[in-house]
Amino acid sequence: MKKQLITGLLLSWAMLTGWAPQTLAQTTFPRNGVYDERPNLYAFTNATIVVDPRTTLQNATLLIRNGRIEAVGNAVSVPAGAVVINLQGKRIYPGLIDLDSDYGMPDLPKRAPGGFNAPPQLESNKKGPYYWNQAIQPETDAGQLFKVVNAKAEELRKLGFGAVLTHAHDGIARGNGTLVTLADDRENTVVLRNGLSQHFSFSKGSSTQNNPNSIMGVVAVLRQAFYDADWYKKTGPGEQANLSLDALSRAAGLPAFFEAGDKFGVLRADRIGDEFGRQFIIRGGGDEYQRIDEIKATGATLILPVSYPQAYDVEDAWDADNVSLAEMKHWEMAPANPAMLAQAGIPFALTSAGLKTRADFMANVRKAIENGLTEAQALEALTTRPAQLIRADDLLGSLAVGKLANFIVTSGNLFAADNVIYENWIRGKQYILANRGIADLRGTYDLNITPQAGAAALKLLITGTNPDKPDYQIMANDTTKLTPKVAIDNNLVSMQVALDKKQPNALTRLTGYRNGSTLQGDGQLASGQVVAWSATLSKPFVSTAATAKTDTAKKTPMGGLLYPFVGMGNAKKPQPQAMLIRNATVWTNEKDGILTTSDVLVTNGKIAQVGKNLTAPTGASVIDGTGKHLTNGIIDEHSHIALFSINEGSQSSTAEVRMADAINPDDVNIYRQLAGGVTSSQLLHGSANAIGGQSALVKLKWGEPADGLLIKGADGFIKFALGENVKQANWGEANRVRFPQTRMGVEQVYMDHFIRAKEYAKAWAEYTAKSEEQRGKSKGKSTTAGTLVAPRRDLELDALAEILNKKRFITCHSYVQSEINMLMHVADSLGFKVNTFTHILEGYKVADKMAKHGVGGSTFSDWWAYKMEVKDAIPYNAALMAREGVTVSINSDDAEMARRLNQEAAKTVEYGGISEEDAWKMVTLNPAKLLHLDSHMGSIRPGKDADLVLWNNHPLSIYARPDYTIIDGAIYYSQTSDEQNRTAMQAERARLIQKMIQAKAGGQTTTRPTARRQRMWHCEDIEGVMAEGENK
Amino acid sequence: MKHITNTIFLCLMLTSAWAQNPAPGLPQQKAIALMGGTIHTGTGQVIPNGYITFDKGVITGVGDASTVRMNTNEVQVIDVAGRHVYPGLISPASLVGLQEVASVRATIDSREVGVLNPNVRALIAYDSDSEIIPTIRNNGILITQAMPVGGTVSGSSSIMHTDGWNWQDAVLRKDDGIWLNWPGYYARDFDFDTFQSTVKKNDKRDEAIRAVQLVFAEAKAYAEGATLAAANLKFEAMRGLFTGKQNLYVRADYAKDIIEAVRFAKAAGVPKVVIVGAEDSDKVAAFLKENNVPVILSPLHRLPNREDEPVDLPYRLPGILQKAGVTVGLSYAEEWWRTRNLPFLAGTAVGFGVTDREEALKMVTANTAKILGIDGQVGTLETGKQATIVVSKGDILDMRTNVIEQAFIQGRQVNLDDKHKRLYNKFKTKYGQK
Repeated sequence: MKKQLITGLLLSWAMLTGWAPQTLAQTTFPRNGVYDERPNLYAFTNATIVVDPRTTLQNATLLIRNGRIEAVGNAVSVPAGAVVINLQGKRIYPGLIDLDSDYGMPDLPKRAPGGFNAPPQLESNKKGPYYWNQAIQPETDAGQLFKVVNAKAEELRKLGFGAVLTHAHDGIARGNGTLVTLADDRENTVVLRNGLSQHFSFSKGSSTQNNPNSIMGVVAVLRQAFYDADWYKKTGPGEQANLSLDALSRAAGLPAFFEAGDKFGVLRADRIGDEFGRQFIIRGGGDEYQRIDEIKATGATLILPVSYPQAYDVEDAWDADNVSLAEMKHWEMAPANPAMLAQAGIPFALTSAGLKTRADFMANVRKAIENGLTEAQALEALTTRPAQLIRADDLLGSLAVGKLANFIVTSGNLFAADNVIYENWIRGKQYILANRGIADLRGTYDLNITPQAGAAALKLLITGTNPDKPDYQIMANDTTKLTPKVAIDNNLVSMQVALDKKQPNALTRLTGYRNGSTLQGDGQLASGQVVAWSATLSKPFVSTAATAKTDTAKKTPMGGLLYPFVGMGNAKKPQPQAMLIRNATVWTNEKDGILTTSDVLVTNGKIAQVGKNLTAPTGASVIDGTGKHLTNGIIDEHSHIALFSINEGSQSSTAEVRMADAINPDDVNIYRQLAGGVTSSQLLHGSANAIGGQSALVKLKWGEPADGLLIKGADGFIKFALGENVKQANWGEANRVRFPQTRMGVEQVYMDHFIRAKEYAKAWAEYTAKSEEQRGKSKGKSTTAGTLVAPRRDLELDALAEILNKKRFITCHSYVQSEINMLMHVADSLGFKVNTFTHILEGYKVADKMAKHGVGGSTFSDWWAYKMEVKDAIPYNAALMAREGVTVSINSDDAEMARRLNQEAAKTVEYGGISEEDAWKMVTLNPAKLLHLDSHMGSIRPGKDADLVLWNNHPLSIYARPDYTIIDGAIYYSQTSDEQNRTAMQAERARLIQKMIQAKAGGQTTTRPTARRQRMWHCEDIEGVMAEGENK
Repeated sequence: MKHITNTIFLCLMLTSAWAQNPAPGLPQQKAIALMGGTIHTGTGQVIPNGYITFDKGVITGVGDASTVRMNTNEVQVIDVAGRHVYPGLISPASLVGLQEVASVRATIDSREVGVLNPNVRALIAYDSDSEIIPTIRNNGILITQAMPVGGTVSGSSSIMHTDGWNWQDAVLRKDDGIWLNWPGYYARDFDFDTFQSTVKKNDKRDEAIRAVQLVFAEAKAYAEGATLAAANLKFEAMRGLFTGKQNLYVRADYAKDIIEAVRFAKAAGVPKVVIVGAEDSDKVAAFLKENNVPVILSPLHRLPNREDEPVDLPYRLPGILQKAGVTVGLSYAEEWWRTRNLPFLAGTAVGFGVTDREEALKMVTANTAKILGIDGQVGTLETGKQATIVVSKGDILDMRTNVIEQAFIQGRQVNLDDKHKRLYNKFKTKYGQK
């Protein structure tokens, strides 16, 4: 019994592998048994051969020997000794290639959920001479990790893949990739080339180290690693041995792949590449069509998934409100992503990664084709392009002579719905996926049973898209449908059917065989009577797959793009225009004060003229400002909108991180601020550490990409923070590890960092002061072979040195007077200035000292009592500071309050009796001064940026709201456009809801609506550390 | 041990150092007449050159100042010409007095542990010495509803004055209602790995609703005469719900939840129900009107709940409901330290669709009084009502002019000093500012 079983297993294994012996000689391995070396010579004749996406040969022959292509063409002579396989009516395609695979890689270690109750891990816990950050693992060698896993290979083989580039999907720098076939062989023959690529991502993977815990932290860590690799290459392991930097520097010339996640990531990854003169090949997320121009401008080749979102259950009108327009539109447009990119001329390869069910791959590629991708483009993205990208086009990608014999045999067009992949040949070894020998029996048959069982004329219909698994049906008298149970195995036929619908249990059983296009045999009626039967082909099958293509034409038209791609986005990006605002009350913020019944002319994005009775140049639009107030746009000195994360709070200093790396230009809060008259914001790092990250100063140009929001030429700013957040006073018992835990320690963090920054700046100054010649004759420890080496570039110290050199300016989160005094004291003693104290709720207690130091104060109007350090906060703070000569602004730190900053400014009139004109400056001119933007922003004067708001009422009144919000002369918000957009959005939602309901009725799987709530960030929010809803 | 003692001592010192709220006002000794101000009665009426007289804590007359003459021997006449006179504002659904400093757990007394706590009473924890209180009355808020939060049935609220020696002294109406957190159709789900929150269908909802239904059914039976060996504290606390003596305050935001909550209350035999939060109530305005159910709205100064919602929907909500005929009260809800901005919520509502300022004023005075069941005593300036009055330099709904110069609670003149003013004066003196 046992013996039988084993024999059976062996037999089935042999069948699976097609009786083929070891395809390639493995001379270094001992052999158990006799040698079985074969010629491995096959000729595939009479086939339609798709040599590459541009070349198809009819009636051609493919000749392979020992796993390589020996000849391909119409006039190939088949040598003696070749096994000839006649592929009449079949097609041959090059084997497909997937460049984003983790095939054969070990499973990722599960990261234990740390969060609240675990103490922070400040250093890497990877033992060995590696990089300081656990998420930087360029030393990972995919070749060493790789193991053949046939079950997974088979999954990919079934889809037509013959080779994949696999790498460990773990960490920010993930090491090298290895090119492997999907053969079920020893790893020695499966690995084609190792170390031919390098891989990166924005995900820290299994790293348990706290740093980085934000997207800008990830970018900083990777940039530093690239600089360090360069430095390591120059200095060698003299100072330290570091296998990570060694690997990273040696990989520099290899094709570099970056898993970017989505459209934002693609742009972000490319920016990193630009800094280091590298062009990454970027794995996108399928939403790239939403930022197609910017993505094209990167010049990057992409790796695209073909995973598309499911439709949502939107039958219920109220529940449907939880699905955003962006989600609905993405459902509609995601399958068009590849086609849109192809039409824009963006090169890409396709991957099967990211699919929930990998078996959907070909169906989803087909959806892309239905949405306009050409078949040649699809094939290119799966064969020649991936081969070129990894410089393996000498091995793979097409059926050219000398390349590996990786190909698939199909029933027809690879991308047609009814196509069957019969065989996947990998390195000359056959993997049978479907039985090519089975005849296509589809068609209509006359079924005769004698003696006749009943009076009906019977027809047997064999239909379906897959000739391997056809559908069977019997029609009685062309009217009654009967469903037989049929099994056809090779030549044998077995069929059971209840011929009388009223007696479903009375089965007629027919058994027999195939004889050409006729089926015949004998059987028994339900009564037991023996009968003879035959089914004769009367009408051959006509494929309906040909009509699949015409579906494209039938497709309902798609909605258009939006800028940005969210419900409140515009169909077109607003453009600057010449405009004249007439007869308004104009708050100039200049010596002229508030002008009544005055005009402001805007041209070329600037304020051209301010006065009375101005004439509009031709083409300029005229806005009637009668009874209205025209002011500057509000500038929010302290904002956390439009950001993917706020705090890189993992270390006491993270001066190296840049909020510009975390900008989310699609955040609807941008639009909401515009509706409140805000035109510019300083996007600040949070307050989790003493030295936070570098600010992004933006104009709220809704629809522009992240880069388009940044204010060009603005000074650099950086966030510092003091007090409870920095010392983690409210972070729970686990967070008692990180230095500092007291205000005493906070001071020492500053002293330490600035002293180091001074040394750093000095070393660089000395280096840059020397000529090339002088550097060549240097001696000492910073030299390699007698040449002075540039100091190690340190991104953190760079930022601090900029502060010392007055090229970067501090905005410091602060509450109580002791710490405010402390930082001014530290700054004075080390020779730098604090630019702005933000929050500064006890600024009123030290306003005289602040005025003397020359620091501004950006504060809340009336916040207090949310924690101990704000117990003495008073709403009169702004007034007290302002009267002592401090430049005061009122800020939000809150996406909601930001849209009412005019009201917040007005509170200084109530609390402390500030004049209305001065109160208004606290949200316009004063923040412009604090951000060094007042030369071109913050007041209404010819030559300044046309960042304007037309209010329907006195701007400090509780009843005021903007009628127009204008940035650089373009209207980004108006009450009328807002209403138009709402109407358009409702119509678009309605259209998509109908389409989704139809899709569901048509059998598509759908998902329940779940609203993704947007986070409203405050400066204390820390990814992975603090719970949502914590107070400021 | 010594160390601990010192710490406690230090805490006491600190407490006493802060606890410098001014003494509560003395009972009214003599009739008072406020003369010449613009009187906003809270009924929609505005009397430009008006007078208001009150004696023994009760309003004795309101009208046109040009038609009356006061006997200065009997009446203390206060000239408020150019000023605006309003009913004391009412802040419902509030944590003022129950919480002091958010990050200090020791100062938080609003959330009891457990699921069904109808018997816990907010007024017990109402700290009349809270330093928050003087700051809110300084913007015109003279009445606050102390509400419990937490669990499913959170407890019982009471209506308090913002002046008084202790909670017994400050209370206006004891145990006015029971608070129920309606089990939501959607539940918030938070993923710590991605740090993203999603709103998903609440799978435990039916179970939670059944539990609430059972408690209310049993409480009703108890109220109607079921006898227990010992009194059931929870059911005792709920008696008033079934006679209309107490409100049932149900926190619900999603439209479906609002409908279900109202239907539940009806089925449970609770005659008076108030929906609190009601953020999606624009969808069910007609339903609320039909069922005569009032709402206390979440702070209007919030972002829309959904990405595609009109940017100003929260601001427009009171106007939408007002036009549909729903009685609306505004609140600052759990944001106790921001409660002083309550009048500005009403101001915002005027900018976004409420008919006019007097209608918006009702949403922080007369409507709220009606909803809370205290409209017999307060909420409007009418003869016979309590003399709970504020005098503002100008429009009380606008930040620039909301400068409260005088306030009376039941005729007692309130000392308007507060910690913020004291610190302001201290440092004005330091800098020699005027």
